[in-house]
Amino acid sequence: MKKNKTESLTAEKGLFTIALTLNGRPAEFRVKPNEFLLDALRAHGWKGTKKGCDTGDCGSCAVMFNGKPELACMIPAVTAHGSVVGTIEGVGTVDRPHPIQEAFVEAGGVQCGFCIPGMVISAKHLLENVPDPSEAEIKKALDGNLCRCTGYVKQIEAVKIASKKLRTRRASK
Amino acid sequence: MRPELLVRPSSLAHLWKTLPSLPRDRRYLAGGTDLMIAASHGHAGDCWVDISGLKELRSFRETPSSLFIGSGLTISALAEMPAVKKWLPALALAAPHYASPSLRNMATIGGNAANGSPCADGVCALCSEKASIVLLLKGVKRKLPLPAFFLGPKRTALRKDELILGFEVPKWRHVSAYEKLGPRSYFGISKVSVCVSAEISGGVVKETVISCASVAPVPLMARKAAEFLYGRRLDEGTISEAAALAESEASPITDTRSEAGYRKAMVRVLAARALAKIAAA
Repeated sequence: MKKNKTESLTAEKGLFTIALTLNGRPAEFRVKPNEFLLDALRAHGWKGTKKGCDTGDCGSCAVMFNGKPELACMIPAVTAHGSVVGTIEGVGTVDRPHPIQEAFVEAGGVQCGFCIPGMVISAKHLLENVPDPSEAEIKKALDGNLCRCTGYVKQIEAVKIASKKLRTRRASK
Repeated sequence: MRPELLVRPSSLAHLWKTLPSLPRDRRYLAGGTDLMIAASHGHAGDCWVDISGLKELRSFRETPSSLFIGSGLTISALAEMPAVKKWLPALALAAPHYASPSLRNMATIGGNAANGSPCADGVCALCSEKASIVLLLKGVKRKLPLPAFFLGPKRTALRKDELILGFEVPKWRHVSAYEKLGPRSYFGISKVSVCVSAEISGGVVKETVISCASVAPVPLMARKAAEFLYGRRLDEGTISEAAALAESEASPITDTRSEAGYRKAMVRVLAARALAKIAAA
């Protein structure tokens, strides 16, 4: 994992300037020493990442952090200096949704929608590593993402649909 | 409250040099998954020393007779290592029960011990692997059997500013079983966990180590049960007797996760299940 020499980072008027790669583009945030990546993202307009429990339990704040899903509510923002972060905004947009997002809609896996950004992040990481997962593998990959509406049936269906979509897309290329 | 100061040393040498200039109430930050919870309850110190970037803490070494696991390795990194799958079956079996995938990507094995909780899945597994813990303070190393590191709930043998360098685990030909009872199949803190590692030779138990989580003030070693099994065959009778001994060694409490009486009874059930799995292996 790439780690930067943050010891050279100094606070100006109580704020640190951190530089990171966010959804493929360079970004700069001014953050307080006690601020968390989740709050920093949301304060800078990246509100797709949701704040559920704020204690590492619910998974709704999952982001890609240096290549793996991690919980933004438990990452001190200063330690994100030099990191590569991916949020739901980098996965797809309303006009151009990612096949995983399409699959969640098609399967009816979205009710209130609060847990979905985290679920999509977890599902995307799974499908990038295991293109044709078993139901048990899907359940394991999503087991850190809590949902209070749908009962964990439609979302598992959604990941199966997404897996098929992505494999078909890859085969046609 | 969360602290106002966070420092990030570039090496262990830099760390020892920087420490004296920092506020006295300082805490090490590795994966952060326990420290952030402590912070939200106001018990996380005035200053965080971020050790997550220290390469010295992420080493993994294999010798003909042992493995050394750096304290800064994450649970998911360990679970993927072929040497872990081969030599540390208890740790490999415990990994899927350890919190959630995203938390496993963050949480370190050193932090799992440093937190001092009797419920820690990684610690419970390493105890049954006969691990020792290696501590470091300003160039001075010391090594303790892992169970001796725990002094009470959230209390460990760590001295002021001392770091966990890693864990030394002997290679021995054993099979393991990890039985966890939580609020759900996965992603829950254990009500009770029982881990058994055993070396069976010629049909009899040559050595066995039984560790239990969440049923004592510290990670519990069920020594009477393990001693009883020495030199015996694992059958219905010996399994049931060993499981009863393990239950007698547990001294759980009632808390938000479960009740004392239930936990005690479940030690017997889980120990019997784990031993039956080992007998069938």
